[in-house]
Amino acid sequence: MNPLETRGRSRILLWALLAATLVLYGFPFVYLLLTSFKTPLEAISVPPSVVPTVWTLENYVSALTRQGVDAALINSVVTALISTGLSLVLAVPAAYAITRFRTPSGRVFILAALVTRMVPTIAVGAPLVEIMRSMGLTDTSFGLALAHTTISLPLSIWLMASFFEAVPDELSEAAQMDGCNRLQAMIRVVLPVVSGGLAVTAIFAFLASWNEFLFSLLLTSVRAQTTPVVIANFQSQFGLDWGGMTALAAVYSVPVIILTLFLQRHIVAGLTLGAVKG
Amino acid sequence: MLSTSPQSVVGVAPATPAAAGKSRRLGRRERGDRRFALLLMLPAALFLAAFVLWPLLRFVCDSFFEISPFAGAGRTFIGLDNYIAAFASEAFTSASVRTLVYTFFVVAMEFTLGLAVALLFTALGSRSTVFRTFFMYPLMIAPVVAGLLWRFLLIDNFGIINELLFQVGILSSPDQVQWLSNPNLALFSVAIPDIWLTTSFITLVLFAGLQNIPGDIIEAARLDGARYPRILFNIIVPLLRPVIAVALIVRGIDAARAFDVILIQTDGGPQGSTTTLSLLIYRTMTRFGDPGLASAMGTLYLLAMLAVSIAAILLIWRPGAGAR
Repeated sequence: MNPLETRGRSRILLWALLAATLVLYGFPFVYLLLTSFKTPLEAISVPPSVVPTVWTLENYVSALTRQGVDAALINSVVTALISTGLSLVLAVPAAYAITRFRTPSGRVFILAALVTRMVPTIAVGAPLVEIMRSMGLTDTSFGLALAHTTISLPLSIWLMASFFEAVPDELSEAAQMDGCNRLQAMIRVVLPVVSGGLAVTAIFAFLASWNEFLFSLLLTSVRAQTTPVVIANFQSQFGLDWGGMTALAAVYSVPVIILTLFLQRHIVAGLTLGAVKG
Repeated sequence: MLSTSPQSVVGVAPATPAAAGKSRRLGRRERGDRRFALLLMLPAALFLAAFVLWPLLRFVCDSFFEISPFAGAGRTFIGLDNYIAAFASEAFTSASVRTLVYTFFVVAMEFTLGLAVALLFTALGSRSTVFRTFFMYPLMIAPVVAGLLWRFLLIDNFGIINELLFQVGILSSPDQVQWLSNPNLALFSVAIPDIWLTTSFITLVLFAGLQNIPGDIIEAARLDGARYPRILFNIIVPLLRPVIAVALIVRGIDAARAFDVILIQTDGGPQGSTTTLSLLIYRTMTRFGDPGLASAMGTLYLLAMLAVSIAAILLIWRPGAGAR
């Protein structure tokens, strides 16, 4: 038991404090969900109501049937999947090399990967517009996925490095004794051991792309536009459709939140590791 | 968990005497290992070179040119003129100050709230696990969604926050506080969704750190009659220092780069009071159409970020310092 754990009567007070914190912390999103079930008019009524007087799916219907929304949702999924796949394919071997062989070049490389996290997005994004144009990838999901990978790849390298770190070197050495070559030792013996870590890294890479905004804003216009940009456009393009905005925001956020609740234990580990590793 | 990091990779090479002795015998294998390691790192390195380093070089290079915003129009080399213009512009200096204020405010609030909640979870022990999971849900929400949501919550005439504050008697009228349209307040208001999104990150990191604090130190301090505040400030915080440093640096860097959250809430207004560096550079790049000047501003911003973060990395990864 942790020495900082409190016993006795003050625990009741602390539970009450925790309950109050969670209610305050949860309120914004609960309010978003409640608003999404109001009528469009009630969503912007003065004074505002907390609980809908009439429960309706009107906002969901109008938001999801709006032109371009279905395409944007598909674009978000496609872009995030490409970017996740690319991140893993590039990050797994690199992270394995860094942790397993501990060469000086590996040390330089992991620090360089960390430094890319410090770079302001616009400093990469603005020149990428030109680069994508010259590659013929403007306004394509693949081009956007490449841009998103600049964010998720360094993160994936750090996460995977910390998961590989936990695997004893003896494992791959034993595999090599048994006649595997270096590549087989990595793929057949070590990778299955870190499958949980792979899943966590995949989720973080997916989330990085799923929630990204500035690259999508700069690199896409019509065909490959992702949902965050469409959500942002709800305010200007169609007037102030707060009801529709909350419905689309709910559609976009709830699946991700549910997914993470399912995988919570792994993800907490990943988050804290990611913290220390950047 | 926090201690099993690639710091051993980054920090000190594990050149044990035994390994050194064996190096002659294993020479061929080791050379093979190195070649294999390079081969494995090559694809990722090439990717980062092509899509991070190369764009960055072009960005820095652009800062020495006068560039017409119209595609295909010419560019003239003008040396450091863009930098001189950046330093001379009031917009750049005030945006820098706003970025600092914003970053400091976000990090200070997140640290205070995050530590408080981490201590609360620790005090409640293992039965709080479920609630800890629940607490981290905002981390999964897109910053754009968070920004719009808070704009909706804080909006002048029908925002629910003011309405609730009015109903419990804190405000005398529902539009007494103009969160996002008062230029003196807006910079702090736009920080709220950022704080809401990532305080749980600080909590998670500090919570993990708190689990590693040796129990006997706390017990001993308790037996000596130390009260909780003293234990907190004289024992817990100093012991957590490395973890705190990492959490604050990671968040500080992200807060200094904040873009979507602010753009979506105020678009830099009212009266430019929330135009931080990232917004100013974005606008100069696109709307005002001076890519050269924008690149100069961005390069200065980039250099400042790199300097701060490299200094921070060196402080944390002092080789052999035994940082957690």
